[in-house]
Amino acid sequence: MSARSLRLLSPLLRASPVPPSSRHALSAHHAAQRCALRTASLPSRTCARRGYSQTPDPKLNPTQQTSSGERDRAAIGVFTPKAAALFVLTGIGLYFYFRNEKEKLLEQRRKEREDQVVGRPQVGGPFSLTTHKGEPFTEKDLLGKWSLIYFGFTNCPDICPEELDKMSAAVDKLDEKYGQIVQPIFISVDPARDTVPQVARYVSEFHPRLVGLTGSYDTLKATCKAYRVYFSTPPNAQPGDDYLVDHSIFFYFMDPNGQFVDAFGKASSVEDVVARVEKEVARWEKEYGRRV
Amino acid sequence: MGWFSSSNSSETPSATSRKDRQRCWDSRDAYFACLDAANVVKPGDEGTACADTKKTYEQNCAKSWIDYFNKRRVLAEQQQGVLTQAKTQAETARR
Repeated sequence: MSARSLRLLSPLLRASPVPPSSRHALSAHHAAQRCALRTASLPSRTCARRGYSQTPDPKLNPTQQTSSGERDRAAIGVFTPKAAALFVLTGIGLYFYFRNEKEKLLEQRRKEREDQVVGRPQVGGPFSLTTHKGEPFTEKDLLGKWSLIYFGFTNCPDICPEELDKMSAAVDKLDEKYGQIVQPIFISVDPARDTVPQVARYVSEFHPRLVGLTGSYDTLKATCKAYRVYFSTPPNAQPGDDYLVDHSIFFYFMDPNGQFVDAFGKASSVEDVVARVEKEVARWEKEYGRRV
Repeated sequence: MGWFSSSNSSETPSATSRKDRQRCWDSRDAYFACLDAANVVKPGDEGTACADTKKTYEQNCAKSWIDYFNKRRVLAEQQQGVLTQAKTQAETARR
């Protein structure tokens, strides 16, 4: 057993009797005492770092001096100053990289949010109908104006006329304030009976600018689906039949990009509608510098 | 009989006419007022009490509209009853 291996085992051998050959296998207590004594001649860090397997006296064992340096390196491992610098630099680099990436992502999200109000429902879409004047009308004709769109039918007993009157009154008030920037639209959900002349007669009694739209069963069904409107007209209804159509009675408020803004039900008053439109027009004006 | 066979039954019935709609609503209100006076909720249960107003009502309104208004009257009465009951209960509970 060499002196060196004994010294490494010294903590384990503390309790056992010290063999006469191993002068250096001393207890921690002894080592500390010796350190205190040797501080004048040896670097103090050796003592502080190594609690109980003490550095042998160089005079007694001169070969131990070089092996001590090797063991220092072994204790440090690969953590050299160069590696430490590389580690820190990589850390800093990654930190800035990810911060930059996060900023980019946030910027992208912000831009996406600009295009759509949070929580705006997907209402609306392409459609192709006929106006009460017999002209074609598509979703493109909604662009450049605010629109109020009501889905109903001309044989509607009471709710449709009430809602259309409300809508017309709101449009009149908004016309006074802004000029003609709001377009009222009536879309029929009763294709069998609501012919172009029928719709023309109907809309003329509500508002001079009210556009009445109608079309075939399939085109109206598709339009209503895009606008999330329910209606119950039987597909095989005859023009002379006497029936009512169950349908959604909201009217929609769309912006000049043809995007859905809000819906008004029976509970909304003319004042509610006007106030909501005014608020939205003001927001639009602030954002785009114009009212439509 | 068309949808609106009030004065010009030969003409195409016109629910699109504001005037015709108003006439229908007015005759409906008259009939329902008569039912109220006779303490009848469900139209048709009044016997011969409101024959006159009923005739005008049926002349001025389309069949589908009459069905709709009659059904709604019954529903409204039921709703009223439930609301009154709820109110009474709430008042009792407060005491």
